Amino acid sequence: MNPSSSSTVVVGSDETTSIRRNSNRPKYSRFTQQELPACKPILTPKWVISVFLIVGIVFIPIGVVSLLASRDVVEIIDRYDSVCVPKNISGVDYITGNLDKTCVRSLIVPKKMKQPIYVYYQLENYYQNHRRYVKSRSDQQLRSSSKRADVGSCEPEDRANGQPIVPCGLIAWSLFNDTYSFTSNRGGNANTSLVVNKKGIAWKSDRDHKFGKDVFPSNFQKGPLIGGGKLDENVSLDKQEDLIVWMRTAALPTFRKLYGKIEVDLIAGDVINVTLKNNYNTYSFDGKKKLVLSTTRWIGGKNDFLGIAYLTVGGLCFFLAMAFTVVYLVKPRQLGDPTYLSWNRNPGGN
Amino acid sequence: MENSTAGADSIMMKSSSIRSISSSRSRASGGGGGSVREVSLGDLGSKAVRYGSRGADSEGYGTSQKEISDEDSRIVYLSDPEKTNEKFEFSGNSIRTAKYSFVTFLPRNLFEQFHRVAYIYFLVIAILNQLPMLAVFGRGASILPLAFVLLVTAVKDAYEDYRRHRSDRIENNRLALVLLDGKFQEKKWKDIKVGEIIKISSSGTIPCDMVLLSTSDPTGVAYIQTINLDGESNLKTRYAKQETQMKIPERDSINGIIKCEKPNRNIYGFHANMEIDGKRVSLGPSNIILRGCELKNTNWAIGVAVYAGRETKAMLNNSGAPSKRSRLETRMNREIIILSIFLVTLCTLVSILAGFWLRDHKDELNTIPFYRKLDFSEGEVEDYNYYGWGLEIVFTFLMCVIVYQVMIPISLYISMELVRVGQAYFMIQDNRMYDENSKARFQCRALNINEDLGQIKYVFSDKTGTLTENKMEFQCASISGVDYGSGKSDSQEEIAGYSVQVERQVLRPKMKVKVDPVLLNISKKGKHSVEGKHVHDFFLALAACNTIVPLAVETSDPAVKLVEYQGESPDEQALVYAAAAYGFMLIERTSGHIVIDVQGERQRCNVLGLHEFDSDRKRMSVIIGCPDGTVKVFVKGADTSMFGVIDKSLNQNVVRATELHLHSYSSMGLRTLVMGMREMSASEFEEWQSSYEAANSAVIGRAALLRKVAGNVEKNLTILGASGIEDKLQEGVPEAIESLRVAGIKVWVLTGDKQETAISIGYSSKLLTNSMTQIVINNKSRESCKRSLEAALTRCKSLMPHNSEENIEAGASQIALIIDGTSLVYVLDGELEELLFQLASYCSVVLCCRVAPLQKAGIVALIKNRTDDMTLAIGDGANDVSMIQMADVGIGISGQEGRQAVMASDFAMGQFRFLVPLLLVHGHWNYQRIGYMILYNFYRNAILVFVLFWYALFTAFTLTTALTDWSSMLYSIIYTAVPTIVVGILDKDLSRVTLLKYPQLYGAGQRHESYNKKLFWVTMIDTLWQSIVAFFVPVLAYRESEVDISSIGDLWTLAVVILVNVHLAMDVIRWSWITHAAIWGSIVATFICVMVIDSLTFLPGYWAIFHAAGEAKFWLCLISITIAALAPRFIVKAFIHHVRPRDIQVAREGEKFRTLTDSQTAEIEMNPIVDHPQR
Repeated sequence: MNPSSSSTVVVGSDETTSIRRNSNRPKYSRFTQQELPACKPILTPKWVISVFLIVGIVFIPIGVVSLLASRDVVEIIDRYDSVCVPKNISGVDYITGNLDKTCVRSLIVPKKMKQPIYVYYQLENYYQNHRRYVKSRSDQQLRSSSKRADVGSCEPEDRANGQPIVPCGLIAWSLFNDTYSFTSNRGGNANTSLVVNKKGIAWKSDRDHKFGKDVFPSNFQKGPLIGGGKLDENVSLDKQEDLIVWMRTAALPTFRKLYGKIEVDLIAGDVINVTLKNNYNTYSFDGKKKLVLSTTRWIGGKNDFLGIAYLTVGGLCFFLAMAFTVVYLVKPRQLGDPTYLSWNRNPGGN
Repeated sequence: MENSTAGADSIMMKSSSIRSISSSRSRASGGGGGSVREVSLGDLGSKAVRYGSRGADSEGYGTSQKEISDEDSRIVYLSDPEKTNEKFEFSGNSIRTAKYSFVTFLPRNLFEQFHRVAYIYFLVIAILNQLPMLAVFGRGASILPLAFVLLVTAVKDAYEDYRRHRSDRIENNRLALVLLDGKFQEKKWKDIKVGEIIKISSSGTIPCDMVLLSTSDPTGVAYIQTINLDGESNLKTRYAKQETQMKIPERDSINGIIKCEKPNRNIYGFHANMEIDGKRVSLGPSNIILRGCELKNTNWAIGVAVYAGRETKAMLNNSGAPSKRSRLETRMNREIIILSIFLVTLCTLVSILAGFWLRDHKDELNTIPFYRKLDFSEGEVEDYNYYGWGLEIVFTFLMCVIVYQVMIPISLYISMELVRVGQAYFMIQDNRMYDENSKARFQCRALNINEDLGQIKYVFSDKTGTLTENKMEFQCASISGVDYGSGKSDSQEEIAGYSVQVERQVLRPKMKVKVDPVLLNISKKGKHSVEGKHVHDFFLALAACNTIVPLAVETSDPAVKLVEYQGESPDEQALVYAAAAYGFMLIERTSGHIVIDVQGERQRCNVLGLHEFDSDRKRMSVIIGCPDGTVKVFVKGADTSMFGVIDKSLNQNVVRATELHLHSYSSMGLRTLVMGMREMSASEFEEWQSSYEAANSAVIGRAALLRKVAGNVEKNLTILGASGIEDKLQEGVPEAIESLRVAGIKVWVLTGDKQETAISIGYSSKLLTNSMTQIVINNKSRESCKRSLEAALTRCKSLMPHNSEENIEAGASQIALIIDGTSLVYVLDGELEELLFQLASYCSVVLCCRVAPLQKAGIVALIKNRTDDMTLAIGDGANDVSMIQMADVGIGISGQEGRQAVMASDFAMGQFRFLVPLLLVHGHWNYQRIGYMILYNFYRNAILVFVLFWYALFTAFTLTTALTDWSSMLYSIIYTAVPTIVVGILDKDLSRVTLLKYPQLYGAGQRHESYNKKLFWVTMIDTLWQSIVAFFVPVLAYRESEVDISSIGDLWTLAVVILVNVHLAMDVIRWSWITHAAIWGSIVATFICVMVIDSLTFLPGYWAIFHAAGEAKFWLCLISITIAALAPRFIVKAFIHHVRPRDIQVAREGEKFRTLTDSQTAEIEMNPIVDHPQR
């Protein structure tokens, strides 16, 4: 019992003696009497203004730095799904027919791009987060060969010809199978090929723990309907990095997937020729396909949103700090002034 | 509890005095002594003995004569348990308060738990989720919350039941002496059977309900204490019938049959016949001793068990606390309906959009890679999991309900229960609500209306025993027109230590009384002077005319014994103690005679007859045969009834002087009684005696006959004088009432006192002040009553030109209404109710005098049915039970008058003044806490649902959850549950000192400031904004990137949890270490849980959090979400704080900056209420 503490003054020392006399009396403790020491912050003008100022001071620099970083990122985006289809044929017919799927695109590097340059394919209007789709996989099967027949959750792509499919499920079945190869006119040499490094594009954690070293594809894409890419049956799943990347289902209907890395610098004005095999069917559902080459910074890819958001919030806070200062100056109120108590205001009623 | 005192004059009467009627009547008839006995012996069998609440209706007398029909009765063969139990298996004496056994625990407990609608909702959702086409969550995850809740409750129930089992075992294994093979042998309680004969020794507890057969007292009297049954600590007398009293069970075989009614829960009623030795004897409530009572002042008692075990009256009355529903919870249900409308709207929206999407894509569904309707795996091509778009819409809707189930905050019910338990714990533990005198802690009997204590608008209070101590003290007397004792200052009086020596033993009254030295002198001088004669007669009347039993109590000094006066009316006790102090000490009372020590000289008087107090006559009388051979009638009663029977022609001056004194006594707030006497001539005595005997032996209408006999003898009395008894106000009552009034609570005092007494108590308790306008309604007819009510109403309106409410709170001119019982009779039975209600709403204080117990409930109902305002009733006696049960909150005072009020109450405490800390402090806190908690829980669950909903718009309306199943289930269990409970229990908006100093702060609860519709909608809009920020910041920051579902899901999980906890942190007022631990601990726990979940390789989201958190973007998102989402709330809060501060806020600032000066003095002032009073 500390008499100097704000709320315990009432408890005198005679109370302790009476507790000893009496066993039925509730035992005194700060906890039971709800008198635990506590700090009671109050929204004083000083607090309000400093909160706004601090947020402003912290947010604006972050916003500036983020925005600069995002602006620093060089990004080349090329939509090829429509232009790679001959004029006189519909997209679906083209993609399901037996025509040659090769298509060449040339891209110009707008600014210097430092290596590594990431190569992504971007799909739009593609619901990789559809309920039917995300559920249709068997993580057990991917992990170990002993769970080969564990295809219960993979419907409708669980078995073909009576045999379990490895890897089963709609996700694996719809594996993206467009391919890209790049040449450039770097250093004046036309058609210097740009090597795309496809190693290490998937998460290390997935390669090490999620996709088994002893699991090999089998009976894959043997059904009546071919959904997408095929897999080399002699390569274990943990090496099939395209599959691993694809199976990290995207959160939003517009998404990018890493295709590979170009590990040389590109300078402004370079022309990159992309030879692509346009195999993947996005035409049946109005999907879009884009090829993206991008550098990265600490903020990730090119995205101004966070920078702008931070600047806006920071700016608003500065403004609010000023606004509240004005309010406090124009209409000051002494804190805890008893005249503000409702029964002290206008005694005749409110 | 219906009590017969309806219309009674309360000067004599509280509920308990009713009981004295019957007990002493039966004493007169059953016991020995004088001529009375012989007469009564003859027709003992035909006499019904009244006892307790049923006693008053005179028709009841006939009932015992009716045959108890066979199907309504049980037959007990005395001393023959085998035969008794042969035909019907009567319950054994083992009791079982435990609900479950090992085997039945699981099914019964589950069954009981599923009585809650909330759990059924849980269960239905969980079952829906088990259907393959609707399976949204993993099976385990979806059952987890329900299983958790069921488990926690089951463990709690099991523990409670274990404790009950333990106490049952102890109780069942107690030993009692049972007649076996002609000897009394020890037997365990649980083995006692109906029909067995049991011997109880002094201070022993009675193991089952038994009919008394014989006792150590030759007249067959046994004294029992019923404290365990009804809490009354005074001794009650029970009688063995003379037919059995003489028998010694060990020697004589007792062969008899008792035919008694089926077990019932009326502890004041019993009804049976006994056939013994060919005679038929009727048994009543005074012949039965009940389980749980203790035998006192009687060496032994023998009885036969008639009801055992769970059929005993004590066990039948062992019902739980009443269950009421808090007002806040009722209001909350309205908002829950709004939330379910939200839920249905969201689900409809999603399912219709899903339907549109399916229709738009119907041609592509077969091949579209992320849908692919066709299934080839079974050989023939068929649709996989597709039932046509109509059914798909229905399924989507149901899945939606499953996913968004937390919109209905089921966990809120559980949190509320926990919070209430915590609040109850703190209320019980509160040192300042502990009563030192009665050693009574605060009791929380109803667990679910804690928060109602913070919204009380009307307090209905009993007076005697609630505002006053119900400890009567003799203050002054008017003897033969001379006033003694009143108007003198305390210093002149002395404490009389009167004592007498009897056979080398000193007898001394237990309680000392202040005496008036003048009067003491006169009484010491004896009855030789005229004055002395009056005084002598007066005190003789006090000592003789009562039903008090003196008991000698040993003290540490063997030579000294204390005489304790046991009686059921505190007024009588006070009078007898007073008589003892003036030298007229009642030493012995049996049913036939009394021994009074008059100034050292022992006088033995025969009690020839006794006319009980009843509520029609409002007086009692005894007929005493004095040692000098004369027969005298002493009468004592209320002034109104006494002046009617006093012969005013004898000495007019005395009568007039006494009337004046009585008036001044009652204006001092004293309870008054008038004493009268006269001598009876021999012929008159004989005449009376024969009619008394005739009346006593009458079969039908005995009460009426006795009343008539009494009326004949109670007339032409000489006035002896009047007494003034003070019922002291309890400590701190004036301060408490003032605080309540300042808090804007309307205080109604309902009392049985006379108007003058009531008003004077009103002043001394500060209920009435001089600044108040008093309106008195005191009418004898309906028309005049209506007129005066209307007149009063217009007067009120003129006094308060504008609306009433604020003026009253502003304390301008307050109006007090005083209304008496007769007027209330007219008001309560008709259209005048509305009029009184309007009138009462103008008044801050209402004083109802001469109120009958049933009227009390009527008055409460009058207010309760007409407003939404909360009512609270507080009382201590059986006559307050109806009122306590009627009010929204009932409070029992565990005081002098037994425990019926406590048993019926929601909360019980020792003193009236504890009402102030209970309402102003605990009630305020409880209300603020629960109100905030409900809103917060709505917000907490809705924000998650909104985030899930926004995501549905990006998944082709298919309800993929980005959050892992486990996270969404753990959300309301681990991630966010603990802080709200901790804050709900521990947060305090203001300190106790401030709340007591400014009772006006209580108005926050009355105005529903913490929980109302506006706050709900504001909270929902805030929720919407916060969910938008929490959802769309990551979506925009991660648009066109390679982010996967699990990573962004983890980000949303963490964002929402941080938001929700920081939101709470913004509103916490007192940060103790527990609060810190709960809030920040929850955030840390969430991080840990998310990391653990993401470390499970068999989940698709393996390692996602570690990848996501490795990027700066993740953290930038979290920070900006927190700031941007909470900014509007902070801005609004800061702005309102500054521009329109609420009282609570100003007071809080004052607390912090000590600007509310004179706080020091205020604390000292308030001390008497909250703490040790100085008196």
